[in-house]
This record gives sequence, C-alpha cells and structure tokens, in this order.
Amino acid sequence: MGISKLLVANRGEIAARVLRTARARGLATAVLRHSSEQEGPAHLIADEVVTIEGPTPVAAYLDIPQIVEAAQRIGADAVHPGYGFLSENAGFVAVLDKAGVTFVGPTSEVIDLMGDKVRARAFVEERGFPVAPSAIEDDDPASFVERARAVGYPLLIKPSAGGGGKGMRVVPEGGALESEIETARREGERYFGDGRLFVERYIERPRHIEVQVMGDGQGNVVHFWERECSIQRRFQKIIEETPSPALTPEQRGEICETAAGIARAVNYRGAGTVEFIYAQNGAFYFLEMNTRLQVEHPVTEMVTGFDLVAEQLRIAAGEGLSAAQADIPQNGHSIELRICAEDAREDFRPAIGDILLLDEPRGEGVRVDSGILDGGEVTTDFDAMLSKLIVHGPDRAEAIARARQAVQNYVILGLTTNTGYLDAILAHPDFASGDVSTGFLAEQADTLTAPTEDVSDMLLAVAALSDERLVDEVMQVPQMHRKMGGWRN
Amino acid sequence: MRRIFQINGEETECWLSHDGNRFILNTPDGAHPCRLDPAGAPGGHVLRTRGRVQDLRLAVGPDATFVHMNGRTYAIGRVDPAERLAGRDGGAADDRIVAPMPGTVVSVNAKPGDHVREGQPLLDIESMKLETSLTAPRDGVVAEIPFAAGDSFGLKATLALLAPEED
Amino acid sequence: MRRIESQIDTNSPDFKANHAAMSERLEEFHARQHAARFERPQRDIDRLARQNKLGVRERLNLLLDPGTPFLEFSTLAACREYDGAVPGAAVVTGIGIVQGREVAIHANDASVKGGAWYPHTVKKIVRLLDVALENRLPVIHICDSAGGFLPLQHGVFPDRYLGGRVFRNQVKLSQANIPQIAVVGGHCTAGGAYVPTLSDYNIIIEGTGAIFLGGPPLVKAATGEEVGVQELGGAVMHTSVSGTGDYRAATEEQAFSLAREIVSQWTRPPKTIIETAAFEEPYYDPKELYGIIPKDRKTQFDMREVLARIVDGSRFHEYQPDYGTTMVCGFAHIWGYKVGILANNGVLFNDSSLKAAHFMQLCNQNGTPLIFFQNITGYMVGREYEERGIAKDGAKMLMAQGGSVVPKFTVIANASYGAGNYGMCGRAWDARTLFMWPQAEIGVMGADQAANTMADVKIRQLEREGKKLSEEETAAIRDPVLEKFRRDVEAYTSTSELWDDGILDPADTRNALGMSISASLNAPIDDPHYGIFRL
Repeated sequence: MGISKLLVANRGEIAARVLRTARARGLATAVLRHSSEQEGPAHLIADEVVTIEGPTPVAAYLDIPQIVEAAQRIGADAVHPGYGFLSENAGFVAVLDKAGVTFVGPTSEVIDLMGDKVRARAFVEERGFPVAPSAIEDDDPASFVERARAVGYPLLIKPSAGGGGKGMRVVPEGGALESEIETARREGERYFGDGRLFVERYIERPRHIEVQVMGDGQGNVVHFWERECSIQRRFQKIIEETPSPALTPEQRGEICETAAGIARAVNYRGAGTVEFIYAQNGAFYFLEMNTRLQVEHPVTEMVTGFDLVAEQLRIAAGEGLSAAQADIPQNGHSIELRICAEDAREDFRPAIGDILLLDEPRGEGVRVDSGILDGGEVTTDFDAMLSKLIVHGPDRAEAIARARQAVQNYVILGLTTNTGYLDAILAHPDFASGDVSTGFLAEQADTLTAPTEDVSDMLLAVAALSDERLVDEVMQVPQMHRKMGGWRN
Repeated sequence: MRRIFQINGEETECWLSHDGNRFILNTPDGAHPCRLDPAGAPGGHVLRTRGRVQDLRLAVGPDATFVHMNGRTYAIGRVDPAERLAGRDGGAADDRIVAPMPGTVVSVNAKPGDHVREGQPLLDIESMKLETSLTAPRDGVVAEIPFAAGDSFGLKATLALLAPEED
Repeated sequence: MRRIESQIDTNSPDFKANHAAMSERLEEFHARQHAARFERPQRDIDRLARQNKLGVRERLNLLLDPGTPFLEFSTLAACREYDGAVPGAAVVTGIGIVQGREVAIHANDASVKGGAWYPHTVKKIVRLLDVALENRLPVIHICDSAGGFLPLQHGVFPDRYLGGRVFRNQVKLSQANIPQIAVVGGHCTAGGAYVPTLSDYNIIIEGTGAIFLGGPPLVKAATGEEVGVQELGGAVMHTSVSGTGDYRAATEEQAFSLAREIVSQWTRPPKTIIETAAFEEPYYDPKELYGIIPKDRKTQFDMREVLARIVDGSRFHEYQPDYGTTMVCGFAHIWGYKVGILANNGVLFNDSSLKAAHFMQLCNQNGTPLIFFQNITGYMVGREYEERGIAKDGAKMLMAQGGSVVPKFTVIANASYGAGNYGMCGRAWDARTLFMWPQAEIGVMGADQAANTMADVKIRQLEREGKKLSEEETAAIRDPVLEKFRRDVEAYTSTSELWDDGILDPADTRNALGMSISASLNAPIDDPHYGIFRL
C-alpha cells in the first residue's frame, strides 16, 4: 500500500512544509490552488498545481467532490490534508477510502469520535483518564441548565461540535448562564451547523499543555513529548513551546503517558495531539484530541529531531513508526511564533496589503515555515497567519533570546504584522519566568501593546526622503532657489 | 513639497526642502537636515537626522511607507494635502439638478420628501437617443421633482430640487 | 579667476563710521518695508477677517513653494504719495517659485483700500507684466480689488501705460504662449473682470470670489434688476453656467492648491543656456558693504571692493585694468552665472566710455548678461573733453548699451546723475530689473548743483531787476529749493514713483541679481546687432 503521488489538499505554509518532506521522500507531489489565489511557496515546490474553483476560495478548499475528483484525475494515491479545512472531516476520509485514495491521517471512525467533543470526552472518561467536571446537554437536554449549575462556577460552555475556541464562553459565579448558553448555541450553529453544547468547570489560570502522539494503527503508539500553548488570545494560540516550563519530569511522564494511553485506546493511526487543561495545582484534564498535524508541530520536531510529516507518510504507506519511545529524545528548547497579518494596536484587526519586502530571519536554530512570497499580496480570503518562526536553543532562556533576535530581524514590509507584539510577549518578565496561563495575553493586553520608544522624528524623515514624488517635486526647484531657501528682500 | 504623515493615528504636516547640499525636513518642531542613503540588503538604508545614524529597511507602498528598524516595524501613512483639499470637492454641491440638454423624462425614481443618498438615481431622462440617469448630488431630502414620466423639458430646466442643507 | 584682494580695514574709523551710518539707514528702511507689508489699520484687518479672506501674504505662502525665495518688487511704491495711505500701492508683485517654476506674481492687497487701483497700482502691475513679457515668465494673478480708484480715474484709466495696458499686456502674454492663472479671491468688477477672463486659467473661490462687468448696485441703477453677488457672478454660476470660470474652490487653501496643480501641468520650456560655474559664496562678507559705502556721498570709493562682496568667491577677471580706469569692466559669476560687470570708479571720460562700449560688445558676442553698478556723476565736461568728442564717445556707449541683446541688470549703488544714468542702463534702457541702495540718489544732477543752478537763475534775475541780495536773502531763495531737490533725488522718491524695482539692502543684492538673472534666462537671447556707432 505504498504511496507514489501525494496531493496536498491545503495551502499556505503547511502545504509548503508537507510538500518539502514529500519531495524529500521521493514522492510525486501536487497541491491545490484556488483560481483567485496568489502564488505561494507551495506552488513553487509542488510538481503539479491543481486549480480549484469555488464561490469563495475557502469554499473551494472545503469542496470534497471537487478535491477527490482532482486527486483521481491527477493520479494521486494519497492525500495529505494539512490542518484546518478537511483535515478532520470524517466524510472526506470516507469518500477518499471509497475512491481508493489513501488519507494521510486517522480512520474516519476515529475522526468522527474525536470530532464530537461530547463523545470523545465520554470515551476518555470511561477509560479512566482525567476529565474536568462537566455536564453534557445531549444526556438530558431538559435538565442541562440545572446540571450545568451543579458542575460549579466558573463554567466554560463549549459547542459539542466545536474546535479552535470558536463559540466558547466563560460564565463566572453569578453570571447569566441561560443567556450565555443561548449565545453559545447560536455561535455553535453559525460556526459548526450544530447547536449542541456541553459545559465544564472552568479552571482558573489554567495552562494549555498538549502532547504529540503518533500511532501506526496496529496498536503501536508513541508520544513526542508535550507542547505548552498557554499564550493564546481568544483561544487562538500565538506562541507555543516545548518543553513546558510548568512540568516536573514526573508530571511530564504522567501527562505524556496519559496522552499515549488515550491514543492507544482508539488504536490511533497517524499524527495526533491530545490537549489537556493544566491547573495551577498540577492537576490536568483531557480537553480534546486533534486528529491531525498541529500548526505548532515544528517545535516538537526541533527538540526530538523527528520529521513528523515523514512519520505520517511512513505510517500512511504502511511502513510503521520509525522509532520506539525510548528513541525519542527531548533535546533543548524550542519556541514557535505565529506571524500574523494583524494590527495588535487596533484590536487585532486583520491587515491586508502587498508584501513589498520580505526578508526572513536566518541563522543557527532558526526555522521559518512560510506561506508567503516577496511581492505577494495578503488578502482576507484566508487566515491571517502568514508564517511561523520556530527557534531552537540549548535551554529556554537561550531559545527566548534567539526568538527575540529572530522576530526582530523578521522583515515584512507592506502590511502590519504582529512581530512587535510577539516580541513584547517574549520580553515580558512573566513569560521569561514561565509564569503564564491562558489568560496571560488578555491580562497583559495593555502592557503588550503599549507604545514603544517614540521614533516619529526618524520615521517622518524616512517617509519624506523615500517619497519619490515629494523628492522630485523638491528637486524641481532650481538649485539656486533651493540654496537661497525662504529668502525675502 | 508638503505631506501629511500619519504615525499611530497621529498626523503631522511637514514640508521638505533641499538647500543645495542636503534635504531639510520642516516639521512642527523645527527644520531638521536629514539624509537617507541606500545600503546593503534589499530595502536597506542609512538615515542621518538630528545627530543620529540609523540603519533601517524600508519599502514604499502607494499610501504608506513601511520601515523596519531596531527590530520593529512601523507604518507611516502619507497624504498629499492637495488631495485632501480636492477631496472636499468644490464646496457644497448644488441643490438643483439642471437639464444638461433638452429631452424627455423616462422615469421618476424619487418623490418630494424622500431622503436620498448622494449618487442615488432620481430620474432617468432621454435625450439625443441616449438614456441618462440623473443622481442626487449630495445626501438630502427631495424638495421638488417638477416633471413626470413622459414630460418634455428644455435646456437648463430644473429637473429636481433638494431641500437646502441646514448648517 | 583671481580673487579681488580687498584693501578694506574693517577696524578703521572710516569703516566703522560708514557702517554705523548705513546700519541706521537700513534700520529705517527695514522698518518702512515691514510697515508697508504688514501694518494696517485694525478696521481693514477686521474687514478681511469678516469677509473670510486671507491676507495677501498668507495667500502668497499658500501659493509659493515652501522654503523658496520670493523677489518682491517695489515694496515701497507710492510711499510718498496719497499721504502714505496706500502702502505698496495696494498690490504685491514679484518673482517666486511655484512647483519648481519661476512665475511672476501680481496680487492685490485687499487690506489697502480694498485693493483699489490707484495710479501707482496700475504702474506697478504694468511693470510686473512687462517683466513677465520680457522674461517670458508665467503670471499668477491673485485678484481681490475694489476696482479703479474713481477720484483719481484720470491717473488710472486713459493713458497708454495706465489701466488698459494691464489687459493689453495680458493679451500679449497669451499671444506669446506665456500662461497665466487668475485666482479670484475677491471681486473683479468692470475692467477688473478682464484679469481672470484674459487669463488662460482661472479659479474662483466660493463665497468670496466674483466676476462681473457691473456689480449688483450698478445693475440695479442701470436696469432695475435686483440680483445678488453670487447669482450675478459667483463661483457656482461662472463655473457651471457661464464658463467664465474654470475651477471653483471651496476654500482659499484649495484655490492655491489648484493653482499649483495647474502650474505643474505646464511643459517646461528649456531655459537659455549661458556659461555657469559651481556656486561660491563671496569670500568677503557682504555685510561689509555697510562699511564700504561712504556715509558722505561725495566720497569716492573703489567699486571693486563692492564687487568683492557680491560676486562668487569674490573672483573677478578685469578687462583693460589699466585703461579708462574710471570704468571698471570685467567678468565674474553671480550664483554661478557668468556675467559681465560695468562699475563706475569716477566720472566717465572718453577712454572709459570707449572701454565700456567695447566691453559691452564683447559680452553681447559672448551671450553674457550685463550688470551695471552705478555710482556716476556724469560724463566729463569741459573744452578739452568736448574737443576729444566726449559726446560722440558717450553716444557710442549708449549705442552699445541700448543695442545690447543680452539681459541687463542695474544696481544704483550710489549716485545716478545725468547722462551717466543713461550710459549705465538707467530705467529708460530696459534693465530686466533695476534696484537702488537706500542711500543712493537719482537726478539730472546732484541736489546741491541743481539747487545752486536754480537759485542762481533766480538771483541773477533779481539782480537784473536791480535788487541786491543779502546772504540771508540768497539763502532764503536757495534753501527751500535745495531741500526739495534733496528729497526729490532720494531713493524713496524713486521707489515711490516706480523708477526702480525696489530698494535693496546692499547685502541682498547678490540674491536679487541671482533671481533676476535666472528669471531672464526664460527668454531667448538674440544674436547681437547694433545701430550706427558715431566713429
């Protein structure tokens, strides 16, 4: 069941990243491109670019029949979904299976199970893994509010079908539970077409810690250690790192084994991530399992030395895992920064524009997974994430120092990005000490977007002197008159 | 020679001059000689002003200049004051819509008392075998449309009248 | 080119006394200029504010390129007329830079008598338009005038160089493809309506600008029709109905921004190329001129010391240094422009006249502009000189000067008496610009000689009638004549009457000449040709 030609059903940095490994493994490669989409790095790497159509670019990337037809038409025998889009769509996997095309990822059953937060949670709980106190609407919709209240405030309301933080709402002690439930339901319907909810105890100042797992579908599962993703804004991860500064070696072993155990329980195939909420007292609870390659997977690669995409492709090709648990080290420290086109000072409004100048940082321990090209255009058609900056250092302090240097040297001119904001996070003393929770960015919002040194005088001079029309106008004044200046007789 | 620069939402009007040897940026806090020389990497420049020497990278977009220096990126909006003045238009638009040529009213799309937006079609006319849509010259309230569909009118006839603007 | 070696000792008592005297004069001069430009009765300032109009100087600042020079002409025009109540003759004229281009500017000053045209106003505008024609400079008119000043209409209206000449010159400019823009920032009534309408482009400021042949009161009187200013000749009517106006501007700022935009549409004709060198400031400080010009006009001084403080690097290539030494001739650069200089170091003799005539022909042959520095009491008189043909040699100099095709510029640095004024390119001889220094005098002869001559005539007449006059009686006849004459030859009289283009602080001479030369190069230079030299 080997693979010879891989279609990457994705775009941007992840498509480029997957294609690089696929090519290195000697596969023929293809990638999608919406007819209105700018050329990106992936299109330069792939052997073949398949144009897809759709009322919106996003709709095209979600169009299962079109993509499966494309895979068959070009003779791809495997499809890598990347993350997002169809990566956790059980229906997509089922259609591919039927078409005889290998899906690089878990079975549709596992996707289905883990995609339903309520079922996943019940599955995990039944097998003795830790979950936070909760109430599930489906169990008995009539008593949902009552049972929710019984879980104990503060509460976190989540859509059963959700993910990525969308539709989640926190209800504090004395909060308007009923109306928040209704709001969450509406959001769930809007985002996922499914208004079912569940609530769980909201953990104060929690950390988000997740574990990378990999299974061969034959019962063998290994973990690739944890990632700490507590630096989030509205449930969107901004900075991820590994190892987590919060864990003792014992806790680390415990949480990683728990994750591997969960994966084993579903006879997991491919790359997956088990996410946990980690409380200040050291307790951790299963949050959800993502049945795909995560955005932040590179930090794991940096400390373990494994190419996770290569592992995915091996498994998909039936070659099994390349390493036993004991062979997977955790060397040094790695941090990933998500470079996004947004204006931190304007409530993170997405920024658009032409990339007039792009110069990515380079150097020892610096990796850039980029979805943009110099001269490209950033639109609001897709996610605001332009690229990922990943650094590696012998220890956390050095990794932070490298990350700061690299993000400061990341030159993207032509639109507003969050590089300054990322640097402000890295420079924050609480980040340096590792004393953060998922509320960190919200709590420090003002500090992190505070004005920096006023350099307006220099900026004015640069803007004036680089304005060719202005300079031309000035230089049209004959030299003598310029030299006389504002002379009056 | 003049520009309005926008940095972090703040506007500064400046003008640039050149005294034969160097540029001088005239800002609200005085005139400062300055110099910008290309250097090194793509977009790389060295700025000299107010006693400082600063390495930077820069890119000039159609409406904004982007600068990367000391590890930070800045966007500076540029506005030609002349364009802003022009944007104000030639003052308050006229209240009257006058027939550009003799013709016939094809259809009337608004009635007295209607609130209309600038550019909203008020009536269609036909003249010289061409149909033309006449639109509201500004936001306002329709005071009068003297002609009905099928009526003929002469050159410079008032075809629609907006209620005067209140200051 | 060699540097002039200055012999001036700036620590000498003479230098210091001269410097003190000139400084005092300049203080007065600058105060008078400032008053003429800015000091107005409060009610006139209030009226402009009420009319929502900017002052003429603010308008110029909006029009001109920031940080560029403006050479203003005849700031003190009419300063000795109308009891001094019409400063600057109610109009500002000059050469400035708009979008990098040299333009001539004519701007009514509505803070003076509502910008009404007095006889001297007309003279000043006509002169400006002559400058524009001679130098092919585009003109920007800033119109804001109450119209001709009726009580003095005979001095405004009928003659060849009066009001009609303004419009005639506009026509000639247009005919010569020299563009004009009018910015109508006030009323243009009757004849005034032709300034914007004869301009190739015009802009009317809404609310304040209006153009009509007869204003509302006149219309009512003539036909009984009652009509408001805006309906009769406002910006909206003219730009959308009559087509008399091209652009309407909501504000003064927009009007001048539009004017600048229009200028930037024009093709730049190539300028005449003359020899140039890199700029060099004078080696000697121009402010030392204050100590070089003697406080007593009769004291002789070396014009080379003056040139050393005006020309580039104080460098001067002197022609015939040992011949006709009362006439200093030579080449220098001013603001990089190669020029031929003629400067008086005493009375004109036969040899100095011939030298001047020859040098001017050299400059014409060479396409080199001429600059005259006048300190001239006249051509030498007396039997010997008449026998040598001083009148004939003077005529050769006039023929060469008047026949010159290169641009000429004149600075009346001290005395400008008699035919010397002619030979040295006085007002009648078409200098592109002519400036005076504040202590300079102009007249058919010096004030003392003139007063004595006139008093003598009177005294001799009385003596013929058998009257014997005491010394007191003689003085009583002579002194009033002398006083009047002294006043009449002063620079302020000249500048009031527009016999010059303005009084200059001597230290500003270099810039004024640089601006003038540069402006002159907008016009081509002909091949040299002359009339008959009396040999």
